[in-house]
Amino acid sequence: MEASTIIYSLAAVVGTIIVAFIVSIWLPGIERKFIQARIQQRIGPPISSPGLMAPLKFFFKETINPNSALPQLYNALPLVAIITIFFIFLFLIPEMYFLGALTSIIAIVGLLKIEEVIYVFMGSFSRSIMSLSMPFPDLAKGAKYPNLTRSFLEDLSSLRAFRLIAFGSFPLYIALFVPVARVGSIFLMDIVSYQQLQGPILFSAAGVLGAIVYFMGYLILLNEYPFAILKTKADVIEGPYMEYAAKYRSYVYLSRGFLMFTLAALFSVLFLGIPPNILSWGILINIIVALLFPILGAFMSAFSPIFTFKQFYPVVAALSILGVLAIITTFL
Amino acid sequence: MNSNQKPSREESIEAEITMGPVHSAAIEPYRVRLFVEDEIVKDAEITVGINHRGVERIMEGLPVEKANSLTEKICGICSNIHLWNSVMVAEKGLQIEIPERANYIRIIMAELERIHSHLLYLAHGNEVLGHETFSMRLFYIRETVMELLRMIGGNRVQYGVSVIGGVRPRCELNEKRIKKIREGIDFIEQKVSDFANRFVADPMILSRIDGICSISKKDALRLAVTGPSLRATGVDLDLRRDMECYQPFDFEVITQEGGDIKANLLMRVLEIPESIKIIRQALNNIPEGPITDRTWKMQDTDIIKSYVEAPRGRLYHSYRLEDGRVRGSIVRTPSMSNIGAMQYAVIGHHITDAQLGIVQCDPCFTCTDRAIQIIEI
Repeated sequence: MEASTIIYSLAAVVGTIIVAFIVSIWLPGIERKFIQARIQQRIGPPISSPGLMAPLKFFFKETINPNSALPQLYNALPLVAIITIFFIFLFLIPEMYFLGALTSIIAIVGLLKIEEVIYVFMGSFSRSIMSLSMPFPDLAKGAKYPNLTRSFLEDLSSLRAFRLIAFGSFPLYIALFVPVARVGSIFLMDIVSYQQLQGPILFSAAGVLGAIVYFMGYLILLNEYPFAILKTKADVIEGPYMEYAAKYRSYVYLSRGFLMFTLAALFSVLFLGIPPNILSWGILINIIVALLFPILGAFMSAFSPIFTFKQFYPVVAALSILGVLAIITTFL
Repeated sequence: MNSNQKPSREESIEAEITMGPVHSAAIEPYRVRLFVEDEIVKDAEITVGINHRGVERIMEGLPVEKANSLTEKICGICSNIHLWNSVMVAEKGLQIEIPERANYIRIIMAELERIHSHLLYLAHGNEVLGHETFSMRLFYIRETVMELLRMIGGNRVQYGVSVIGGVRPRCELNEKRIKKIREGIDFIEQKVSDFANRFVADPMILSRIDGICSISKKDALRLAVTGPSLRATGVDLDLRRDMECYQPFDFEVITQEGGDIKANLLMRVLEIPESIKIIRQALNNIPEGPITDRTWKMQDTDIIKSYVEAPRGRLYHSYRLEDGRVRGSIVRTPSMSNIGAMQYAVIGHHITDAQLGIVQCDPCFTCTDRAIQIIEI
């Protein structure tokens, strides 16, 4: 390979990542300021606050190491989340398609699963003050049930994260396989090439169904309302990352914004055939999709209450059936 | 039914989840212990006392006017009704007939406060439900009534309207104020009606509230539930109907069936138009004349009791007067009665619904924290 090609590819990868990162830090602010706050008839936070200023502020605060069963791993988890999302995004860039199997849907699914599993670890490793039991039987108000195991909010959210791995992310993964079924290949390169020749999959019946399911799966994976049972204010508050403070919380915020952009870029690749690339006008489509998704999500969240599992199960089941229908439609 | 799902002491419970005293779903400090099995609540225990201020003890020996103004500090939401009831204790004891105009102003204040309390309840309920848009819009509607209360009382929380013998001179209602109140209640009526129509037509909301955390009529009476939470189970009991000061006004006592979250939320929604109806009648028929009777003489009294229908239910105040000073004051807030219902309603439901089940009874634990409950272990 010539040196100029390597430099060109390297510039494309680095430039795309930088652009993605810059856009991603504004996404949470756009979602909260321009949509949620407007619908709710309030001023809302400054647009730079949730995605940019809050992480910056937290990053420079005094580091507090929360109690944990495995402190080093626990503190590293937000960083692991960022790295995982970074690799998902990296494999979407056309210049990385030479990596073969790593740039396939299977690899993407695997990395997204890591992202989900991190929530289980975050919750179960956390040891907040509420998890402590008294060293003697609690006789307050007659001690209805002495010697009980004291569970705590992060632990509860960890169990919920585990449930969500089992069923919650079904719609997203099924939607990922709609383009695979249409193209007949698991490789992103083939999916992009097919769409550049045949037109975007989105503009077919299967594509529309798949896009709807993908978008709902996007909301579930991001724990957005109404699928925010992992971090609902009604009980578990912040859920798995409740105890993270200072720079660790900064990483949590950054990873969320970056995940929003990455999932939107993944949608562009799979349903529009436009991968993120700074050296192509296609990056603008990626940015538009990345802006559209939070905006649509904000509408969903503004007009719905939080789902408990009672509502969650049928919604996920219906979306999964819709996803399967989309896959079947690709063969017609 | 809830009682059947409650385990015996011997039965094993998987784990305990504790929420509070500080929690995002609670606007006040209290601790909830939920005994759960697979995220389903099997039993619950609410502990209050975190914000104990000992108001009754502070009132002991204070001149009655000062003691009365102290009762207003018991609650930040229904401060007016506390002051009114405490003043009524003195008025009953001293056999003071207050001017009719003063009574009308007190009724207007009480009903405005009821609207404000119910809107706060609905907003908080929607927040816990996870519907932030409805919550924000309800707070927006509530601003109107808060401004009306500020206009009459001079403050948004502590109004200081009632005094022994009538109402304060600064709380007099002139034509300009009456016009503003009319405009305000028209606005609230329209907005609440819009909200109610959208609320009951939303299937996602109904799936979260219909049949959740219900209390039967029988259980509500057994648990001594009071106020709108009792009426939401179908019991037609409202103290306002028996209160002499409410006799000139025509209004309906709203009841619902089921005692679930939906019934409780609708109770408050439907009570707001009734309060507006009372305010309109008061504004239309407000008599001319003085607003304070200053001719009364202080004397010693026996223990005098007074009950009123506060926004949350039956509110009790009692004390005796000795040399113009308060002795043996007791205040019992509605939330004290409703704690049992809150603990009971959540049994058999998901943890996420538990806070909603508590909120459905409109708790005001900081008001309840004056009392000391002694249980023998």
